[in-house]
Amino acid sequence: MAPVPMPSALSLELLGKCSVTKARAATLHLPHGPVPLPIFMPVATQASLKGLTPEQLEEAGCRLCLNNTYHLGLKPGQATLDAVGGAHKLQAWPHNILTDSGGFQMVSLLKLAKVTEEGVRFLSPHDGSPMLLTPEHSISLQNSIGSDIIMQLDDVIATTHPDMVRMTEAMERSVRWLDRCIKAHKYPEKQNLFCIIQGGLDLDLRRKCTAEMVARDTPGIAIGGLSGGEEKDSYCKVVDTCTSLLPENKPRYVMGVGYPEDLVVSVALGADMFDCVWPTRTARFGNAITAQGVKNLRNAAYSEDFGPIEEGCQCICCRTREEGGLGITRAYIYHVTAKETAGAHLLTMHNVFYQLNLMKRVREAILEDRYPAFLRDFFSKLYADKSKYPEWAVTALRGVGVDLLSD
Amino acid sequence: MSTDAPVPNLSHLPPEMLDFTLSKTFGALAPRLGRLTLPGRKPLLTPDFLGNTSRGAVPHISQDIYRSRANLGGVYIALEDFVEKHPQKIPPVLQYDVPEPLRRFIALPDAALLVLGARRMPPLPTPMSNTNSEVALQTSVGFKTISLEYYAAAARKLQPDIVIGLADIPFGQESVSTKRKDKMSDRTEAWMRDIIAKRNGIDKGERRFNIFAPFLPLDKDLQQWYLEHLVDEMADHISGIAIYDAYLLDDLPEELHKLPRLSLHPPASPQELLRQISLGMDIFTIPFVNEATDAGIALDFTFPAPEPREDTKTSRRSLGIDMWQPEHATSLIPLSTGTSCSCYACSHHHRAYLQHLLNAKEMLGWVLLQLHNHAILSSFFAGVRASISASTFAADVAAFEAYYEPQLPEKTGQGPRVRGYQFRSQDHAKGEKKNPKAYSKDLEGKVKTVKVFAAHGQEPKEKPETRNLIDDEALEGLVDLENLRLEDGNGNGKGELELEDDENGRASSSSS
Repeated sequence: MAPVPMPSALSLELLGKCSVTKARAATLHLPHGPVPLPIFMPVATQASLKGLTPEQLEEAGCRLCLNNTYHLGLKPGQATLDAVGGAHKLQAWPHNILTDSGGFQMVSLLKLAKVTEEGVRFLSPHDGSPMLLTPEHSISLQNSIGSDIIMQLDDVIATTHPDMVRMTEAMERSVRWLDRCIKAHKYPEKQNLFCIIQGGLDLDLRRKCTAEMVARDTPGIAIGGLSGGEEKDSYCKVVDTCTSLLPENKPRYVMGVGYPEDLVVSVALGADMFDCVWPTRTARFGNAITAQGVKNLRNAAYSEDFGPIEEGCQCICCRTREEGGLGITRAYIYHVTAKETAGAHLLTMHNVFYQLNLMKRVREAILEDRYPAFLRDFFSKLYADKSKYPEWAVTALRGVGVDLLSD
Repeated sequence: MSTDAPVPNLSHLPPEMLDFTLSKTFGALAPRLGRLTLPGRKPLLTPDFLGNTSRGAVPHISQDIYRSRANLGGVYIALEDFVEKHPQKIPPVLQYDVPEPLRRFIALPDAALLVLGARRMPPLPTPMSNTNSEVALQTSVGFKTISLEYYAAAARKLQPDIVIGLADIPFGQESVSTKRKDKMSDRTEAWMRDIIAKRNGIDKGERRFNIFAPFLPLDKDLQQWYLEHLVDEMADHISGIAIYDAYLLDDLPEELHKLPRLSLHPPASPQELLRQISLGMDIFTIPFVNEATDAGIALDFTFPAPEPREDTKTSRRSLGIDMWQPEHATSLIPLSTGTSCSCYACSHHHRAYLQHLLNAKEMLGWVLLQLHNHAILSSFFAGVRASISASTFAADVAAFEAYYEPQLPEKTGQGPRVRGYQFRSQDHAKGEKKNPKAYSKDLEGKVKTVKVFAAHGQEPKEKPETRNLIDDEALEGLVDLENLRLEDGNGNGKGELELEDDENGRASSSSS
């Protein structure tokens, strides 16, 4: 099918490239203001970032967050979204929003969802009535949400799916569904539709899909279907393969990625945008993300630890009272986590800040062309010694010219 | 208002000395205006209220929001929220070696007045009674006792601004024998002497706390002996009175009238609050604010009440808006009707969002409601002070009672998960469920109970089909945890896991 020329409501201002790896630093201009790339996007699933006010999210440095189409479609529902005037107005968020298509939740939340050419068939979790999510319906919902970046509905199956026929079908169907999404999209001049490259772990399928997707010239491009339990080596190969085939002037979004080491490696492989619920979810279980790894502050070892959540962290919780922060101690988090919601809010703020600050440091390192050194430093802090470095990271980074094990 | 009250010169006083100046009184059993001042703290113009904390935080309000968006003069803190490790271990907060460890531990600002009592407000009954030298507490892991020495030592170490002396009150007991009542008075007298002696023994250079003496929920003749000693021997050493039954204020000896009065008699409604104010109460903790928040109710009243309009004269207005009602789903107006509320929720958000957040069980809903409800109370008290100042209080109270319904609206929606300390668990054997069970349907519509791996905040196994939904709900309180067998992903019981639980050990024991 012939490419449909598509208006774009974004522009990518490429500011720097790593001279060794494929990492890029840029500013992405979106309808609700510029955002720095690479970027981590916290997930405010139901138009709320787990207990934080929009003001707190802003304070943590966020200018682009996610909402989930599936959830907003159920609650508050499309009619309400239309009446309220979209998700920005619903949640009083003056910055950018990205919405997924709803397809992923369909498959991940609803074990027995059925995918046909028409769309995804599932039972309403509210009343058990049969429902159908089509590409047209997904786009219509996202048009009502009014998000700055909207995602095509894709046929998501686990990358580890054993059936190649089904995998190929899913890839090809995703391309057909993109065409339906493009056709259904009412506001291309104010909402940027991203395609999603599928194809499982098969690099040839991924290449084919990439070519088809790129030909359709959407404002941005996502690599989908990953972070579903596949080997990290395979994950890296897919990202590396796809980014090599993508045009330089478009943002590249790898969906569902959020562990710090995954982020820094994926950036080295040429990806720009990431989202994951893990940092905020894990906060609610008492886990603090730090440069030295994840610390579970519900462990009794922290009950008498009066240090900050993370030494040197500049988030509102960790900064001392003298520095204008709260001076929250690990002992207090231990005291309050899972007993009062405020404890979850505090750790959520810390974790969001950690993720955004990590990406800020990544960006600075790329702009100053010292990203390989940044990577070596990052892993040396995260792991006590080199023998502990994950092999997949060492391999992936070696592939883009960085040897983590050298001094 | 009491802005015309002379600002006392405090420079000659020790840094922790509390000053209370009454600028307007109408004699006994009448409303009064005061100003409670402590160096370094925001002066508290009374009548006013304190935030009621749980584990150091006003529920749902993280400390940064307390600082930026809540407009409170201070908070009430219960020692029982901090001593669950006693006596096996020294509770962590008592090991925090910094100036003002309590304030720093709970990360509240310097301006906040910190009032420490033994029990939460309102206190849960304890299975055992007090003894001559020990007080029963209900901590997050169950029943404990602490000694008088322990309380005084904790107060000294924690350095709150005000400490409420221990009172021997059998909370939750329906009828109390006369013999027991005598004991209440005797013990409280002895306990007051004890804490005063301990406080006075603190070295001059060290920070000293101010003591509020309990005024017992007993008839005058039954606490006469205690009150006489309070007046004759302890009056110079106490800075205020903590009152457990506002309707006995008449019995408060006149010599103690100049002291600030903290109500530990939870008012059920704004009207009851006004009645307490009209009897001369100064400072309140108001559990109904948090209860309204958890019930999804946005308080909606002002004092004085608005001028009644012709069309509303017949029916009285509700004291709160049930944000669960679907009629708010597309309403873009602020939470408050009528006069504008300047709280963060009303100035940044609308009812449609609140309704969505409640519906979606998002924690932010309760954050916004809590901010709003506290702001409503702050404005209410500002109105009360202005009314007392203008000598129109009695008429304003009558107008308020005529304008509003006498009770807060009934709760209709589901609140956040009922936490252990909110659950009156006298009858363990019945195993009554605090929270409803979670169900999920598969495509065939077969209902099955979802296994919750996230009980008690233990991070679940990665279960893609449930982790997005169920674990969050488990944590935020929408499914019952205590009735579920704790299992890991392999189906092995986790009964041996040591869980710091908030259900008085109920949940962990249910797995064994």
